[in-house]
Amino acid sequence: MTDRPTVLVPIRVLEGESIPDGVPELLADAHVVLLGYHEIPEQTAANQARQQFEESAMARLETFEELLVDAGATADTHLVFTHEPQQTIDRTIYEHECLAVLVPNSTKPIDDVLVAIRGTVGLDRLVRLLTGLFATQDVNVTLFHVAGEDETDQDVETLLEGISGRLVEGGFDPSEIAIESSRDGTPQSAIIEAAEDFDVIVMGESDPSIATFVFGMRAKQVANRFLGPVLIVQRERPAEE
Amino acid sequence: MTDPQGGADDTGENVRGETPEPEPDADEDEVTVHDDVELERTIGLSGGLAIGIGTMIGAGIFVFPGLAAGTAGPAASLSFAIGGVVALLVALPASELATAMPRSGGGYYFVSRSMGTSYGAVVGIGLWLGLVFASAFYLVGLGHYASAVFEEVEIALTFDPVIPLGLAFGIFLTGMSIAGTENTAKIQNAVVGILLVILTLFLSYGALDSLGAFGRESVPEAYFSQGHLPVLSTAALVFTSYLGFAQVATVAGDIKQPSRNLPLAMVGSVIVVTIFYVVTIFVATSAFGAARLETLGETAMVEVAREYVGAPGAIAILVAGLLATFSSANASILSASRTVYALSRDALLPRRAGEINLRYGTPHVALLAAGGPILLLVATGQVAVLAEVASFLHLVLYALICVAVIVLRRRSPGWYEPSFQLPGYPVVPAIGALASVGLIAFMQPASIVIGLVVMVVAYGWFRYYAGSVRLKGDF
Repeated sequence: MTDRPTVLVPIRVLEGESIPDGVPELLADAHVVLLGYHEIPEQTAANQARQQFEESAMARLETFEELLVDAGATADTHLVFTHEPQQTIDRTIYEHECLAVLVPNSTKPIDDVLVAIRGTVGLDRLVRLLTGLFATQDVNVTLFHVAGEDETDQDVETLLEGISGRLVEGGFDPSEIAIESSRDGTPQSAIIEAAEDFDVIVMGESDPSIATFVFGMRAKQVANRFLGPVLIVQRERPAEE
Repeated sequence: MTDPQGGADDTGENVRGETPEPEPDADEDEVTVHDDVELERTIGLSGGLAIGIGTMIGAGIFVFPGLAAGTAGPAASLSFAIGGVVALLVALPASELATAMPRSGGGYYFVSRSMGTSYGAVVGIGLWLGLVFASAFYLVGLGHYASAVFEEVEIALTFDPVIPLGLAFGIFLTGMSIAGTENTAKIQNAVVGILLVILTLFLSYGALDSLGAFGRESVPEAYFSQGHLPVLSTAALVFTSYLGFAQVATVAGDIKQPSRNLPLAMVGSVIVVTIFYVVTIFVATSAFGAARLETLGETAMVEVAREYVGAPGAIAILVAGLLATFSSANASILSASRTVYALSRDALLPRRAGEINLRYGTPHVALLAAGGPILLLVATGQVAVLAEVASFLHLVLYALICVAVIVLRRRSPGWYEPSFQLPGYPVVPAIGALASVGLIAFMQPASIVIGLVVMVVAYGWFRYYAGSVRLKGDF
């Protein structure tokens, strides 16, 4: 297993968040970067919080790491005290070249995975994640695309069939791959509607366009409404300046 | 970078048997590593500048012009320029030290690690109380502005509301920093931005007007109307307006890319505020003449704005004054609490002082150790003495920062690798040290006595409580 995809699992370690049910099994074939973080108010020096909370936070993280490793994953654990969790998560994604971030929600054993495909951008990373996590597992993957107005049915089919072909090359059984598309409503409502019968959603990071600044990241909104785990495939991070 | 540890394991202990906390293992651009735990650095350059400028600008522009013009005449602008030069002479050595030791605790940390625990204890406790005096001074200024609001809306009060208002704000700020978990750093940045815009507009208009651009005749007056010596004593008084740059160093542990951002934030904020101060005094004295400015007291700038722009100008400056003194007081309380934490981490104060409240996640003991004494001092209402004692305690620290650079450059220990090296060594730090001590000589005797008493008590406390503590980095 040299080709484990790296997945970041951020946990607010001191606020009762833990590894939800089903997540260790979901990530059994992944290399997990387990990020335990604790947000501190600005009045508090980070080191001050570390002195007081390091022990209990570390103990919790070690239990979590054990859960993941027992299920088959490899894990790399980090504990961070931060005034800005978003910055910490972004830095960790960048430093450890994480392919995806998991929004940790609980799930029953994984049977059906919904993969929301936006376009041709970032497909390499998506395919690497899917083959790494699911190729040898007994799960069904549905490739789902919300077609834009200028896309013909033919375009959609070419796109999804292409991905399907690459997944089969990567070791999937063709019978495990289904294809679906929709032309109704906004992408996120279509995804959420389609996701009802699925256990996990895999989707891409949205571009920080104006609309997402106002309404929050699309991926986050989906995660908030879906209630199950969501894997958000990260854009390629630019190399260091 | 390497770890500033002398290698000696014998750190000693205080009377409660507490030993200093170990130092972190590595300082990186984005994070400090402390046995497997990462501490995120989250304040960028603009955040650092906002801390420096936000702490300083409240006093110099909104409280001092009346007082300073009264004692030095129009030459008060020279007093502010002298203060700015002294601050710059200290900001350069402080920047060098900060890039070699980007840790929270600021000047206290530098001095204790380079000159020994006893110096460290005296300036550390001095810095804590110096910040307490400074906050009290800002709060009295805030009280003046808040009561000017009452006058503006013509509510007649039967008592002088300055001190009660200052106390109320002091209680509010301390309570807010203990119980408030919302992110006020972003608000602080915005407030500083708004302040700078209001001031730039007002001062450019005022300066052009004073120079005759709009046909105004400024009040003719001799520049050194009070003679030359008061220029220096006024410089000593208004030096409180420059105490903020070192506050950037008290949060050095939170600053991203410290080797670049710390020097830029410290030196940059000193230069920005010096320009604002000098222009402010020039505009203010041109509007009214120094003698009349003095009678207007702490809120003189409101009347200056009324003179130039009318009622809207007065209201804009009133609002700006409230924001500025409020943010100065807030920043100083937070810095004081960081200093208390740094002292408790090094076992010079009880470890409990750095404890974090489980409900709010804030250091309630340290914040109370800042907020409590502040209220006592606000109650005295002595603006000039509060300001001078604050300056005194900081100037002692600043002089030692300059000496520390010279000591470290001469001894050149293995861990001392500053990425920013101050220009003009050894002349610049030597002049910085002499100028810092020199300013003290021009203060009122009462302020000097109070300052000395604080230092003696601090030393006594150190001998009694933590006489055997040896901080790593000592030689």
